[in-house]
Amino acid sequence: MNKKLEHQFVTELENNQNIVHKVCTLYTNDKHSHNDLFQEITIQLWKAYPKFRGESKFSTWMYRVALNTAITLYRKSKKRIRTQDYDSVIYKITANEYDPREEEQLKLMYAAVKQLGDIEKALVFLYLEDKDYREIAETLGISEVNARVKMNRIKKKLRTILNP
Amino acid sequence: MIDELDLLKKDWQKRDEHLPKLSFDQIHSMIWKKSSSIVRWILIISILEFTLPHLLYLIPSFNKNMEIYDKLGLHNWIIGITIFSYGVAFYFLFQFYRRYKEICVLDSAKSLMKKIIRTRRTVKHYIIYSLSMIMVIVILMIIGVYLNDDIFSTFSGLKDKAQNVSIEKIKISLMIGMGIMGIVLTAVMGGIYFLLYGLLLRKLKRNYNELKQLEV
Repeated sequence: MNKKLEHQFVTELENNQNIVHKVCTLYTNDKHSHNDLFQEITIQLWKAYPKFRGESKFSTWMYRVALNTAITLYRKSKKRIRTQDYDSVIYKITANEYDPREEEQLKLMYAAVKQLGDIEKALVFLYLEDKDYREIAETLGISEVNARVKMNRIKKKLRTILNP
Repeated sequence: MIDELDLLKKDWQKRDEHLPKLSFDQIHSMIWKKSSSIVRWILIISILEFTLPHLLYLIPSFNKNMEIYDKLGLHNWIIGITIFSYGVAFYFLFQFYRRYKEICVLDSAKSLMKKIIRTRRTVKHYIIYSLSMIMVIVILMIIGVYLNDDIFSTFSGLKDKAQNVSIEKIKISLMIGMGIMGIVLTAVMGGIYFLLYGLLLRKLKRNYNELKQLEV
């Protein structure tokens, strides 16, 4: 029985691992911490898996556990990031190769998002993942209105970081 | 003006192919690894905080102290306090266990943080309680010395060294010494506890406050 559950879990996680990798990309700055956080999220997911009854999609359930782990449970000193770190494999920019201006802009955007706080990053992450405000609010435990207000503030903040 | 975030969103959705890809076996090897989450650390540290003060009594020199209590006429007091403090410790242990059980990674981020902070607060109350217990015992000892008329038989080593000093002076210096020791012990232990507490929860508190601010 346990073996079956184990197999089922690992298969599901293997198929949905992109979500976890994306969270790790936002919350860590080097490969080592990335793997570290990935492992911690995997442990937390596995611990919570018996409670997952399939009433939501596996991926929806993962968003919550992954973000909770990154914001709340994970504690690793976060070193200040240097710009060259963005050029590592994980942060490779996927923009149109023929548009160096857009690529430059994206690079600056990612750098700006990295400067946000843990909670702000979570909002941005869910926004980028195309989640609606209801789901964002529910994951963080705030009201939908507040999620909207917060998101607008973050957009403003990003703009200030980009155009000081 | 085009929303920068939407530009980022488009790019974000295309990134999948550039993300690392772990195999089934790699993920499988992770699931039984030890967690290093903050909750786990809080659990370990809290259990230590509960047990350490009680383990101190197992050290022989502390056992010897019990004889001094006897000679100071505090025997019944100390037994009473011990029974009382074990009762309180078990009460806290039970509370702590309940809080710890409440913590669930599937809660919203805010309520998860709240529960962790509340768990920690339970332990903090226990610590404040046990530190004040130390003070109470020290105060009792000081009173014991004050009321004791035969100080030399209690502290047998004193007799040879302090033959020419008046008994009042010895009593006063003993009392002051105990008082200072009590204060230093409380301060040092309190400092260690609060340092640990602060280090563990700094980030969590900051995030929690950020979410709480939104509600106003």
